[in-house]
Amino acid sequence: MIELNSIRKAYQTGSQSLIVLKGIDCTIEEGELVAIMGSSGSGKSTLLNVLGLLDDFDEGSYVLNGQNMDGLSEKAAARYRSDFLGFVFQSFNLISYKTALENVALPLYYQSVPRKERQARAMAFLTKVGLADWAEHLPNQMSGGQKQRVAIARALIANPSVILADEPTGALDSVTSDEVMALLKEINSEGITIVVVTHENEIANQCDRIIRLKDGRIEGANA
Amino acid sequence: MMDRDTWLEIFHTVLSNPLRTGLTGLSIALGIFILVVMQGLGAGLETGVKQTFGDDAANLMEVETGNAQLAFRGRKPNRRIELHNADEQAMRSQMDSVPAWSRLVYRWGSTVRYGNEQGSYGLRGVDPDQREIGQVNVTAGRFVSDRDIAQRRKVAVIGGQVLADLFPRGTKPEQAVGSLVQVRGIQFAVVGTFNQSGSRWENRSVYVPFSTAQQLFSNSDVVSRVAIGTGEASIDDTRETTTSLTGWLKDRLVVHPDDAEGVWVDNRNEQAEMYRQIFGGIRLFVWFVGMMTLLAGAMGVANIMTIVVRERNKEIGVRKALGATSGSIVAQIVQEAVFLMLISGCIGLLAGTWLLQGIAPFVEHEFFSNPRVDFRSALLALGVLIFVGVISAIGPALRAVSIRPVEALRDE
Repeated sequence: MIELNSIRKAYQTGSQSLIVLKGIDCTIEEGELVAIMGSSGSGKSTLLNVLGLLDDFDEGSYVLNGQNMDGLSEKAAARYRSDFLGFVFQSFNLISYKTALENVALPLYYQSVPRKERQARAMAFLTKVGLADWAEHLPNQMSGGQKQRVAIARALIANPSVILADEPTGALDSVTSDEVMALLKEINSEGITIVVVTHENEIANQCDRIIRLKDGRIEGANA
Repeated sequence: MMDRDTWLEIFHTVLSNPLRTGLTGLSIALGIFILVVMQGLGAGLETGVKQTFGDDAANLMEVETGNAQLAFRGRKPNRRIELHNADEQAMRSQMDSVPAWSRLVYRWGSTVRYGNEQGSYGLRGVDPDQREIGQVNVTAGRFVSDRDIAQRRKVAVIGGQVLADLFPRGTKPEQAVGSLVQVRGIQFAVVGTFNQSGSRWENRSVYVPFSTAQQLFSNSDVVSRVAIGTGEASIDDTRETTTSLTGWLKDRLVVHPDDAEGVWVDNRNEQAEMYRQIFGGIRLFVWFVGMMTLLAGAMGVANIMTIVVRERNKEIGVRKALGATSGSIVAQIVQEAVFLMLISGCIGLLAGTWLLQGIAPFVEHEFFSNPRVDFRSALLALGVLIFVGVISAIGPALRAVSIRPVEALRDE
């Protein structure tokens, strides 16, 4: 599903160049639930951004779902994101003035799906994450766990091949964290590849495999 | 693309900070309001001036005499210059053929009596061509004819106000034709009536044949004025004629070439041209001021959109992560700006139209009439609004496009 070969990436800060990714090689198979761990500054967020086509890379190759993602135009990146990827963020990133239902339906808006169908599918996914009764609530009327479940429903609605989760439990207490992880595992069991970036061992240990990053390189891979 | 979600986005932006939006909208509304009101007042002024002066044809020139101010060829200053019949005939014979020619002799404050009613009106002795030159609108009967001139008939063509004043209430113009009136104590037959719309003092006059008037009321062979129709002649041709005719007249009547008051030729074409230029200038000025005001408003909208984009940095990043293309982001911001412009612009347009309609009945004046917004100007203003809206949104929209999703998401 995901193949990375010698991915390198540097940020230009003033006159200095900060190399963040120093040659990443890794393969993630379809249907895997993988954790990416590493201390802050290890490059794990950058790696997730590269995987999510949110940021470009300097060298190497990235094959997603059999297609080369090298040197994409912004428009093509937007299309691949829309077709293949779903995102779950630490701070949920729900749009504050839209209801749960509208938030979930938003990705379909950008795929020009008719409104009625968007609403129906959004409702189905909200039901799936157990929030059917909260469809008309605004994000600030919901708890953190509920918001993250809305975000997961939003990530799922466009029927992605891969879900990228950046510290999905970082803003949640341990009980809701477990609920969110259980939901992610349930989704994974339906065949969707999931990559979770985390710094919590408890979360990482619930995954099939852990990729540890240190100073821009992969330290070792556990099965 | 303009479905319910698009509208929701727009309403959210517009309503998220009502005060800021309101103030920006106010500046746009005010801009359009000022444009509409000034344009309406300009149109009112133009209509008013045209109604007062416009009934006289613009294609004529008039020869008049006055007091010569300068000594010339042994003659003393401040002497009365008169145009006599012989001068008039010589002038006519030395000119090329002219489309229309009328001698005039005036007697202001002439008493006209019908039965027991009487009033004081302007008496004008004229030639038949005066009908064409003065664009006299004959409502019944006929105007002065060549035979009237030749036979010095005592016939009169009376104005609408004279008819209304002297004849019984409800007398129709055709009923007045054939009746007898006393003009300065002499009996005249009414052969026609006329009515000049929008000109009160024109309607307070009585036309009689020039020859009759000169003989009965003038006691001399002085011609008060000669009106010459210029037909289709161009403004430059009439200027040339004016100059050569003035030179000829000054020579004949012994007036110093630099004397402006002895005898002069008043070229109405020139005045009409001047009015055209003045009103063209006013229109240009109105649009210029309106555009500048709108520009200030557009800067306000550009400003608000920049702030909106900055505030929604993160949201735009999230949208991009969810598959929004640059095009859809640009479209959204442009739509928001145009929406804001259009709504405020329409408010300004309606307020301006409403004000003009409200004041119209109270500002009727000799030089001011019927202020209004014409449909074309309104459409043009709305077109300008949309254009300015798009322009004002481009900067902020490009800024939004340049936001990379990852940067927006990092911004916490």
